[in-house]
Amino acid sequence: MKGKTRITIDHAKCGDGAGVDPRACGACLRICGPAVFLLHETLGAKEENPYDPQKWRVTPLWLDLCTRCMKCVEACPEKAVSVEW
Amino acid sequence: MCDLCMKHGAGGKWYLNAEHYSNAIAEKYNLRDFLMEQYKNFEQISVRKVHGFNAVGMGYKLKMPIIGRIVKHTAEKMLHSTKPPTNPFRAEGHIGQIVPIEDAIAILETCAAEPIIEKNCMCRYMSRGIKEACCINFGVMSEIVDRLPRFIPEKDKYFLTRQQAVDRFTEHNKKGYIGSIWFGPFPYINNLCSCASPECAGIRPRVDFGIKSIYKAEYIVDFNPDACTGCRACVAVCQFKAIAYDHSLRRITVDYGKCYGCGVCRHACKQKALYLKPRDEFPGFEREY
Repeated sequence: MKGKTRITIDHAKCGDGAGVDPRACGACLRICGPAVFLLHETLGAKEENPYDPQKWRVTPLWLDLCTRCMKCVEACPEKAVSVEW
Repeated sequence: MCDLCMKHGAGGKWYLNAEHYSNAIAEKYNLRDFLMEQYKNFEQISVRKVHGFNAVGMGYKLKMPIIGRIVKHTAEKMLHSTKPPTNPFRAEGHIGQIVPIEDAIAILETCAAEPIIEKNCMCRYMSRGIKEACCINFGVMSEIVDRLPRFIPEKDKYFLTRQQAVDRFTEHNKKGYIGSIWFGPFPYINNLCSCASPECAGIRPRVDFGIKSIYKAEYIVDFNPDACTGCRACVAVCQFKAIAYDHSLRRITVDYGKCYGCGVCRHACKQKALYLKPRDEFPGFEREY
């Protein structure tokens, strides 16, 4: 596949601070064939509540494995995902 | 016998050396606090920077001419580390090996330290958002998981007896999940996982990026060509694409180089045509861990 794939997630629409909990939704996580996305607690959130953190977000981690099928863009109910190359 | 067995196996396989499961090791390296800190923030490890690099876009980083080789070398050095662990935000000394069901049962019956617990697979949670109880933990690790709500399965009984643990593992293995045993961190063994590709954070670096994060098993699968009917049930369950169907022979072929020796394909075969043989009996593949 030519060029680098760039996947961006608009954290103003999904994730900590947006009122949408990616742990409850997880549409992009489940639709992705090669499991490119990572669900994780936001860096620095641990100081506030280490045992049951509420601040979570999704990061596209394994970008080179993306097959550019665009299913994550369609699946996201908040229209927060965009894929470019 | 792999390198780990030579160094830490006491004459056998490293994961059947009961010494590595003892609480005394956990106390010696003060792993109670270390593991608590590590698992509190487990999902963050991939996005945290180590020596200025994190795992975001790992494939692209590895393709860079010189930097790629340095990244790979550094990652392997960290995973294979045998020094006392220092930083809980890195996967130091976290090296594993694939085990077939027979060895996993031997681990659960003879080696694993009490209490035995089953927990939600964190890899599946962080890459699929799905909670599925399929990892088995031993000893000190069980106490830690018991304090982290997101890893606790949504049922009353998650502390298991040895027999229950064997039953649970067998159930997952028959479903097609690969058994794997982990140092976490070296020299303490506390995890017996039932993994699936591509979610597993331990198998992915090996399969997709060639970083030795997990060793292949001590066995390779072989088959009886006369018994094979060509039903292709085993082709569907193999997660490493080691088994292929040959249209002209009307039976399967096995690529020994790709086989990781998990033995999961045996459950799919109704003819019992597949069986595991020790890796030593395959010339040329003895050292291919």
